[in-house]
Amino acid sequence: MPKSRFTWILLFLGVLLLGSAWILESREPADSTAEAAGVAEAPAVGYLAPDFTLTTLNGQTFTLSEQRGRPVVVNFWATWCPPCRAEIPHFQDASVKYNGQVAIIGVDDGETIAKVAPFANEMGITYPLPVDENSIVSSRYHVNSLPSTFFIDSEGVIQKIHIGLINQAVLEDQIEQLLAN
Amino acid sequence: MLPTIEIGPLVIPSAGLVYILGIWLALTAAEKAAARLELNVAATYGVAVTTLATGFIAARLAFVALHWNAYQQNLLGIVWPLTSGYSLPAGLLFGIAGGFFYGRAKQLPAARTLDALAPSLITLLMTVSLADFLAGPGYGLRADLPWSIDLFGVRRHPVQLYELLGGFLALAGWWLARRSPQPFPGRLFLVSTTIYGSTRLVTDAFRANAWLSTDGYHLLQIISLLAVLLSLLLLAYLSPPSVAEQ
Repeated sequence: MPKSRFTWILLFLGVLLLGSAWILESREPADSTAEAAGVAEAPAVGYLAPDFTLTTLNGQTFTLSEQRGRPVVVNFWATWCPPCRAEIPHFQDASVKYNGQVAIIGVDDGETIAKVAPFANEMGITYPLPVDENSIVSSRYHVNSLPSTFFIDSEGVIQKIHIGLINQAVLEDQIEQLLAN
Repeated sequence: MLPTIEIGPLVIPSAGLVYILGIWLALTAAEKAAARLELNVAATYGVAVTTLATGFIAARLAFVALHWNAYQQNLLGIVWPLTSGYSLPAGLLFGIAGGFFYGRAKQLPAARTLDALAPSLITLLMTVSLADFLAGPGYGLRADLPWSIDLFGVRRHPVQLYELLGGFLALAGWWLARRSPQPFPGRLFLVSTTIYGSTRLVTDAFRANAWLSTDGYHLLQIISLLAVLLSLLLLAYLSPPSVAEQ
């Protein structure tokens, strides 16, 4: 361990020179999105969100990749899940507030349309509710705990994963970040 | 890598567990370091606890204030859930301020207290790296090395593990520097900062989703370099001149 002033000064100059050179060497190229663009689909931040197609409560088909061009918030939930039920009003409010800017969808995990439809009517849910009856999409997204929410940007890249109950402020904050990017 | 840990029917977020363990280790490190440096152990532990508690509460309240329109409709949301919704700048500012004023109130010597808290700070930073590795958004550049990790079919630098290694090096540096007489208070803190900052300067280059400037420079590298240079300047200024220099 250096003890004299001169040694520390030498170290300072060395770090200044080498550190600056390393920072210049580490500089990212202009097309820094090339990393994310070339990455495979994976249920992780920075990766393309795995594509899926499901049927919604009103019989329409929802395909994730068709939403490219605007951010998407994918919330995995179920009617038997208390925190899922608690946060549904937040998603409903957000779907109204950000209508046309962000697509908010609630993927029901492991239940039937007959089970979900009455619940959706009772809760006044108007945003799309694709039903993942056999939990195939949930498995692809490695959803081990409900609720789980995936925030996907307009290029289809997952920017944030939130596991557990989400409150309105955090939901809106994350949506605002998606819109800002 | 491992966002949740399943124990029977329980699904536990791994990051939360890591943070709880990391905070406990950091506070323990503060106690042990204060004892070895012959400082007031209880007061030093109090500085650490005050810094963490003040920072946590301030970060939460600042976020609530910034999103009051949402919280005023659901006041219970201020206290639950706690898994997200924090303002990092507010947490850092008020946490450091809280610890500083607590230390002053206990009349702790500032520089020597920093010496004692350096292992705690490093431990907390290592905790963040580990939580990021297990459940966070960070990942390294593509690399086909013997120690690369496989993330969804792509081999990458285990950049958070590099950061953990840097933390261990900094702790080792603190330990080795402590064994010799200290020519001035604050030396251990500056040595630790120099080592850890240098490792982050190097390792952040291997992070694929680094915090970048508009020109593509790694901002954390720049901050690390500045911290290291400042520490080296202070070490040079405060170190006694050698006999030859005299």
